[in-house]
Amino acid sequence: MYFDWITWSIWLIGLVILIVWIVVPLKEFKKLVAQHRKPHAEEQTPSA
Amino acid sequence: MNHLDYIIVFGFLALTFYVGSFFYRWIGSTDDFYVAGRKLTPFILAAVLTATNVNLYSFVGQAGIAYKHGISILWQTWTGNMALVFSGLFVLPILRRLRIKTIPEFLEMRYSKGVRTFVAVLWVFRLAFWLGVISYTAAIAAQPITGLHSFTAWILIFSVIAIIYTTLGGMWSVAFTDVMQFVFMMAGALVVLPLAMSQVGWWPQLVAQLPAESLTLVTQAGTYNWKFILAIFLLGIEWACVDQGLLQRAFGAENTKTVARGLVLAGIITTPFALLWNIPGLASRVLYPGLENADMAVPTLLANLLPNVVLGFVVCGLISSHLSTISGNLNGVATIFASDIYERVLNRKATDRDVLRIARIVTAITGIAMIVFAYLVPKLGGAVNAYLTIIAIMDMPLFVVAILYGLLWKRANWQGAIGGYAAGAVAGIIGTFWYELDFNTTTFISAGFALVFTPVISLLTSVPDPEKVHPIWSARRTSEEELRTNNVYHILPRTAPGRVSLSILVFGLLVFLVGVFLGSEGAAEASFIAVAGMILYFVGGLGRAYTN
Repeated sequence: MYFDWITWSIWLIGLVILIVWIVVPLKEFKKLVAQHRKPHAEEQTPSA
Repeated sequence: MNHLDYIIVFGFLALTFYVGSFFYRWIGSTDDFYVAGRKLTPFILAAVLTATNVNLYSFVGQAGIAYKHGISILWQTWTGNMALVFSGLFVLPILRRLRIKTIPEFLEMRYSKGVRTFVAVLWVFRLAFWLGVISYTAAIAAQPITGLHSFTAWILIFSVIAIIYTTLGGMWSVAFTDVMQFVFMMAGALVVLPLAMSQVGWWPQLVAQLPAESLTLVTQAGTYNWKFILAIFLLGIEWACVDQGLLQRAFGAENTKTVARGLVLAGIITTPFALLWNIPGLASRVLYPGLENADMAVPTLLANLLPNVVLGFVVCGLISSHLSTISGNLNGVATIFASDIYERVLNRKATDRDVLRIARIVTAITGIAMIVFAYLVPKLGGAVNAYLTIIAIMDMPLFVVAILYGLLWKRANWQGAIGGYAAGAVAGIIGTFWYELDFNTTTFISAGFALVFTPVISLLTSVPDPEKVHPIWSARRTSEEELRTNNVYHILPRTAPGRVSLSILVFGLLVFLVGVFLGSEGAAEASFIAVAGMILYFVGGLGRAYTN
């Protein structure tokens, strides 16, 4: 069976980009959510 | 599309609406609305930039040109990516240090309030018109792909959700829906490529059945020849340095390092991505030769090749590409109007809350104007061409005045800026309407006139106030904020790895140019050399962004 390495190489690069751009922004997003919740949590903490 | 496809599409739209609206609670100030509180990280920024720059025109219009003229149209995207790297490393870090939100704001800082207001008004109309044009082309393209033949239905599907979530969540909504939409776009493109190529008989059959020039990247003759590559590279640099839609996302970056990294990454990931939508255009030429309208190349391919359910997901990818573009530009118009016109001219005593309210109202009004423009496009006749002419006439002089002289020549003053801008624009208008010159030639003429008139008028008039120029020149150096947060970025690298990377970038650029000029003589190796140069340029750019 013929294997078209040109097409599949392009496809593989695209797949790697897709996976990286799911995993890394998700991590960065979690950090941003945590940062965003921090000040609100502090606001809700009753002062001593 | 069948009912399952519609369920997938409406499920996707509901998810987009939920994600977009979620960020309403994150908007506490105009900074949050305009630039996401300046907290965007490199990978998020890269996805946002890519999603904004890739729209339905890329999948339909550019692939249609590949169908008709061959693969050399790839350079439209590739040179734009090279320009992103240039702008990200050398120009935008300076603008980010100035903590501006719009290019008109920079024009006031550098020249005068009059220049700011003048350019802001022009850009509000220009962006709203652009949104109408791309909405029109998207609604036209979506009909044959999906089988839902209703212009109004597609205009509403594309517009209403984007208008609501952009109005509510501003740049935060734009950023996170862009990331999600980027994933859908990429996944859709990954499905289409192997399906199209398997139908053709893979790469050897594609090569065998197409004329040689269709697969030549740097051609001697034809519409998209070596001269086109040089012209579009110049326009790409202009776009990457002054386009509000693009810059506003970059201004959302958490620091100057993130600006550089985000733009370099965006340029690099869009380069292979462009192959994923242009190669199907070539495959369509083999499978469906003789289509009267080349823009129907990819829609015809999708409608015939994709099984149901898969079609639903690919349509989600196409809708994503459009939503991300219009949401970002809606936010751009709102920012320019609220920040440059409302806050500076109409109501100088406005509070942050007033400005935020106006920004939201303007987002909604611009969305409605976009829909109206989309309906007007067929009646205007040749609207896309008219829009391209406006870019050549208006944008190139702006690039010369704002970036070239604004950042590189202290002696340029506001009189020179207005005179140079007007001279470039008038020369462009005369060239286009009197001499009927093409788009590329008009670009060079308007830039040339602005290049000559700005310094001449500046030298004949008063010296600019040094206090006005000083902050701009100071922004070339590392800022206190960067030192305090340990995020130092030097425009010119200080370390050996940084200098080596910069040398590779410059060498790559020279190799690329050699390849393009060899194309003028029809050299067989021109394409290989130009692509090798571009890859070296990206390698150097990536190294430079991650060193100091």
